[in-house]
Amino acid sequence: MRLQTRSRALVRLAAATATALALAACSTGGGVEGEGLEEAPDADTDATDEAGGGATGDAPTGTLVAAITGTPDQFDPHSTSAYASFQVLENVYDTLVVPNAEDLTFEPSLAESWETSEDGLTWTFTLREGVTFHDGSEFDSADVAYSYNRIIDEQLANSFRFANVESIDTPDPQTVVLNLSAPTPNLLANIGGFKGMAILPEGAAEDLDLANEANGTGPFTLESTSAGGAEVAAFDGYWGEGPFVEGVEFRYVPESAAALTALRNGDIDWTDNVPPQDIATLEGEEGVELGQVGSTDYYYVAFDTTEPPFDDVDVRRAIATAVDREAIAEAATFGAGTANQTAIPEGSFFASDYAPFPADAAAAEQLLADAGVEDLSFEIMVPSTAPQAVTAAEVLSSQLAEIGVTATPDTVEEGAFLSRQGEGDFDAFSWSWIGNLDPFGYYHAQHLTDGGFNFQGYSNEQVDELLQQASTETDQDARKELYDQAVEIIVDEVSYLYYYNPDVVQAWSGDLSGYTVRPDRAINFDTVQLGG
Amino acid sequence: MLSRVAQAAAVLLGVAVLVFAILQLVPGDPVRIALGTRYTEETAAALRARSGLDQPVLVQFWTWFTGALTGDLGVSFRSGDPVTALIVERLPATLSLAGMSILVALLIAVPLGTVSALRPRTTVDGVATVFSQAGISIPDFWMGILLIVFVAPLLALPTGGYVPLTEDPAGWLRAVILPAVTVGVTSGSILTRFVRSSLIEAADAEHVRTARSKGLTRPTVLGWHVMRNALLPFVTVVGVQLAYLLSGVVVVEIVFSYPGLGELALQAVQSRDFPLLQGAVLLFAVVFLVINLLVDLSYAALDPRVGTR
Repeated sequence: MRLQTRSRALVRLAAATATALALAACSTGGGVEGEGLEEAPDADTDATDEAGGGATGDAPTGTLVAAITGTPDQFDPHSTSAYASFQVLENVYDTLVVPNAEDLTFEPSLAESWETSEDGLTWTFTLREGVTFHDGSEFDSADVAYSYNRIIDEQLANSFRFANVESIDTPDPQTVVLNLSAPTPNLLANIGGFKGMAILPEGAAEDLDLANEANGTGPFTLESTSAGGAEVAAFDGYWGEGPFVEGVEFRYVPESAAALTALRNGDIDWTDNVPPQDIATLEGEEGVELGQVGSTDYYYVAFDTTEPPFDDVDVRRAIATAVDREAIAEAATFGAGTANQTAIPEGSFFASDYAPFPADAAAAEQLLADAGVEDLSFEIMVPSTAPQAVTAAEVLSSQLAEIGVTATPDTVEEGAFLSRQGEGDFDAFSWSWIGNLDPFGYYHAQHLTDGGFNFQGYSNEQVDELLQQASTETDQDARKELYDQAVEIIVDEVSYLYYYNPDVVQAWSGDLSGYTVRPDRAINFDTVQLGG
Repeated sequence: MLSRVAQAAAVLLGVAVLVFAILQLVPGDPVRIALGTRYTEETAAALRARSGLDQPVLVQFWTWFTGALTGDLGVSFRSGDPVTALIVERLPATLSLAGMSILVALLIAVPLGTVSALRPRTTVDGVATVFSQAGISIPDFWMGILLIVFVAPLLALPTGGYVPLTEDPAGWLRAVILPAVTVGVTSGSILTRFVRSSLIEAADAEHVRTARSKGLTRPTVLGWHVMRNALLPFVTVVGVQLAYLLSGVVVVEIVFSYPGLGELALQAVQSRDFPLLQGAVLLFAVVFLVINLLVDLSYAALDPRVGTR
């Protein structure tokens, strides 16, 4: 904590020295500490001692330049829904718990531990000690209560995540108690799934212009925002490890050719603007690292199950049998996707290997004939803003042509898509669900009879019952069992016809180390080092 | 001239009504569309109240229009920031790009057009014609990508972004030059042909022949009699080009991740941020009107006969 009292200039000097030392060490292949310090001039040695306190490699060096695809709309974590905003905020704010990078199970962040009561109605979180906000104020339970109550009271975008929360108690500064109206096994996903549930200091909304300013507990402080980018700086008082860079400059680059040229030129160090068709080229390139991992997103097509012919489950099954998901995944993602007959990708605890449809055109034709359907012709509505869904619909259309079905992709503007979807004005529609963590997010709103996003009008009492039960079952194994049963029916009856899970693909320079691509697309630069 | 200004004001009112009406006629509930997956009865009601969408349409129009007259264009659906502030933030970037583009266009058009007008139907003229044809035909986005992929690495220029002139003039120039060349080549190609034809036409005029027959030198004839007369239609075209530049740089701004008005307008379309879209469209309309007005007024300055009409 000595570092906090030092001036910025000193830290910069230390950082510069550390870089020089690290480079010197690299070239001689010797240990960083001994050799480097001997060679350093007196003044610099002092600075290094103060900043690093030991290993010189720990002092932040360099500014990382990250090109992100989208443009943030604003920086209030509780109000924004833009992924681009969260890419920046991910590094500025913390939540009580976070999904880990591998299997997305929840681990401590601002909460060190938590307990659930027997009846599942009381969750008690014990908070981490010694955490400070960027302005130097202490973090405690009042900040948690303030943040959550802000979302609930102002009915902000995420208030539905607290639907079961009756009250929030703060018996002492290190303890937060959430009292629930019903057992909520996905509570951790609700409060830690993404930075929309960030903990702000008490009164933040009154003290700051949260759309453009921030005061979090994360590894970086939000320094400036402008039309073309945002800058964050390393936070000296960060409670966790790192950061190991002085700051990150986020640039908004919608055009992938520009992002990739900038990466090759060394103008940027990292980008998520990697179209699937460029993966093969980038793989062979020197100085460019490519990270690819299966995501929690899925692409699907759904049919209007309330009108003929798709009210007949056999017709939907016939279509599901005709589909070659591998071909769709290949075409839409250039191989950067995994065909799947359910929503949750392989590797997740809740994944199911249920796959009843074989991709058999002859069998599909027979099924369709058995259902008494001839000359089937329909439109697949797709939003123009989702190129993968458009490609998927096109491939599906050509596959269905082989069994004599005319499926015409109907690409419409996203706003029109949403309103037509809401009004049920479609034969079929194709899109994706992204950023899912808990099976609740994968299945409930989509397949419950009165689910908010059940536009296809699917209704099955047994599925309703299983999903309701699963939403309050606190035993994880029992919960998986319930979901497996529900999923089997959903897939069998083709409420959604699942295609594939796309990969997350990101590229960065060879100078950057310590970065992990995550299945949930969260980007964390607290562990990243430059000049490696 | 006064009537010309009054006319512009009337057109402006018409444009405002049209901009407002068209967005009213877009099918679907704007609030539902803007909120997307965040839509709930509560969030919708809050947004409606915040944006005044719970008022009757005529009241909404009047509030918006009178607000616009005082520079208040309402509040963005998406960020909650005042639309005027969002636009003003982007203005320097787009003005820089437009100004630099017109400079690039003139640097191409004036010499090239003059040379080919002086030597019509020669090799020089042929080369110039091919060049301007190509410049008109190549789409801006393609030109931009070519510059990004091949020229930016060669000259170590940035592939995007904007640096304010007041902060770092060299950085500003480096950021502006490639997008400006992209836009400028297209405009310059159109202008080249225009310079050529208007010079040829002007050179053919009777008074020029008279001047020549008086024995005046070539440069004097060209500079005084031909150029001055060719200038009049030229100003019109440059004016129209400039107006197009201000609103038509959308594609180039996207390709170069250039944070200007075009990029802002596209964002507004994508997120169906109606107040922002209305503001941006109105601004573009005003720019068109003002430039056209200035062009008309400059006629009077260049040719006194126009003013008396």
